[in-house]
Amino acid sequence: METGKPPPPQGKRGESIKENGFLPFYTNAFDRVFISLVILIGIHLLWLRFMEPTLPIELATALSLVIGFYVMRRG
Amino acid sequence: MSRSWQSRAWGTISTYVFWVFMTLLTLIPIWWMFVVSMRTRVELFGRPNLMLNRLYLENYSNVLTDSAFQRYMTNSLVVSTANALLVMILALLATYALSRYKLAGRDNIFFWLITNRMAPPAAFLLPLYIMFTRTFRLGDWTLFDTQLGLILLYCVFNLPFAIWLLKGVVDGIPIELDDAAMIDGAGLWGVLRHVIIPLAAPGLAVTGILSWIFAWNEYLFAANLTSVVARTITTALAEFVTVTGTNWGELAAMSMVTLVPSAIIVIFAQRYIVMGLTFGAVKE
Amino acid sequence: MRNPRVGWALLSPTLIILLIFGFAPFVYVLVVGFFDWNVFAAEDGLRFNGLDNFRRLVFDELFLSSVGLTIRFAVFAIASEIVLGFALAQMLTRNFPGKSLFRIIHTFPLMVAPIAVGAIWRLLVIPGFGPVPFFLDRWFDLTYQIGTYPDQALMTSVIMDIWHWTPFVTLTMLAGLSSIPREPVEQAKVDGANRLQVFWYVTLPFLRPVLLTTVFIRIMDAIRTVDEVWMLAGGGPGTRFTGIYIWRVTSPAASADWGYGSSVSLITLYLTIVLCWLLFIAISGRRKGEVE
Repeated sequence: METGKPPPPQGKRGESIKENGFLPFYTNAFDRVFISLVILIGIHLLWLRFMEPTLPIELATALSLVIGFYVMRRG
Repeated sequence: MSRSWQSRAWGTISTYVFWVFMTLLTLIPIWWMFVVSMRTRVELFGRPNLMLNRLYLENYSNVLTDSAFQRYMTNSLVVSTANALLVMILALLATYALSRYKLAGRDNIFFWLITNRMAPPAAFLLPLYIMFTRTFRLGDWTLFDTQLGLILLYCVFNLPFAIWLLKGVVDGIPIELDDAAMIDGAGLWGVLRHVIIPLAAPGLAVTGILSWIFAWNEYLFAANLTSVVARTITTALAEFVTVTGTNWGELAAMSMVTLVPSAIIVIFAQRYIVMGLTFGAVKE
Repeated sequence: MRNPRVGWALLSPTLIILLIFGFAPFVYVLVVGFFDWNVFAAEDGLRFNGLDNFRRLVFDELFLSSVGLTIRFAVFAIASEIVLGFALAQMLTRNFPGKSLFRIIHTFPLMVAPIAVGAIWRLLVIPGFGPVPFFLDRWFDLTYQIGTYPDQALMTSVIMDIWHWTPFVTLTMLAGLSSIPREPVEQAKVDGANRLQVFWYVTLPFLRPVLLTTVFIRIMDAIRTVDEVWMLAGGGPGTRFTGIYIWRVTSPAASADWGYGSSVSLITLYLTIVLCWLLFIAISGRRKGEVE
């Protein structure tokens, strides 16, 4: 385990690593897609449990797409 | 002066008292099982007595001469040994590839390997059952209830672990040694045989030993993907409770037999267990 | 000189085995989770039913209570293991004669087959001749019956887990403690920090990666736990953890509703993958602002 200050990892082609996003760690494109997917699934499950009879599931999809987009751009 | 001597003496004494206490906590459950395995059915009931009354070996002889148990035992030995050998060979090749060649997506392979190791086996039972009974079949033969099936299946959790244990070892062998051997005219197999295998031998041995014990200990796959022919010793233990009227003495004797390899391994490979269990994420 | 093709060739047997036995089942549950597939139904075969399996899942009281129970189990067990393991590791950093013997004995439970761990504890707590119920009744006048009282069964599972897995925490903590450099600790002492301050401001930050790794690995283990608890209590009240629930729902012998079984598997895999990824982030040192 490295205990010293870790150097920010270099992206394979240098463009995908983000250092100034709001997430508490360095992310590359794969990470951001992954986070968006995780959030998407989580929102859908919660929606099925608590919101569905009143609001249709498509709203959950829309909501997670918006959040996913935000994570992709700003994460 | 005398005060510090005294306090140090107290420190030593309390250390030993503490550790003796911990050791008792660890061993008493096992000791109780040993005591149960040395008793007849009648002797078990009444006031629990933690002392051994006498050496009563009939439970052991009953278990060890039982033909079904012998088959379970042979299956376990064959499956664990074959799996450990297979894992050692495949993991060495894979580790060498990951360490010496520039392969695209090495990091993602790492993540995927960990996921394989950590996935709950219960989640895969259904698809594996269907694959074993329907997909892999040749005429009447299916992978279901065969030793081969278990040997291959156990690679799913043993290979990732083996690769990450060996990765550190192979990375530690200077690449210059490979190059020198290649300049002397050695091919890939030459390098592996004369450079990598001798230098990685201790790590390889530990990998084999721990893979062996993980395969030996496995229960869930063995219980659901075999029925009669290829059942292993852990499934025998579980069935013992549910099916027969449970002879506790024999159950205890059987468990004691299951413990033997673990005991041997803990004594000889203790230092490496932690590396094996944490993917070398925590280096000693 | 080093042709990547040779590398892939060396890697291929491993990848093929893992693709067949690790990845294919994943794809399978991913697909079947969205279908209705009842093996004993009049017409065998898959019928697409969208999110219905998941709709049923999020209202499945058995599943939800198993999750709640698993969380309680994990919190009790892991918290105790961390505290105990850390204390033991701290004690093992000192040298004293006989240390390695104690350490070997302490490590032993780790290598015992989970099913045998279950058997060991079952023999201890079985009503009739187990010493635990007997002495609890004799000394504390406590009726102890894990088959009847869910809380007792849960606590027994927790204690069994502590017995089984504390050595693991001890060993990882020991590795972590021995990798801490001497200087910052000495410096802090020179600056007049007391033991608690040294622990809080120096030891703990250095230990954090190890601590995180250990906790994540233990959480994932808790999700997977089946064998030992099953052997201990046979799925009695108070021990129906998620692992056991999945096993009962997906077990080919016990269940006929394969579509629903797959959706349950998927949710568990979802949790596992998220945890795995967090672990990966934690150990690859990609946190921002790590140490200063």
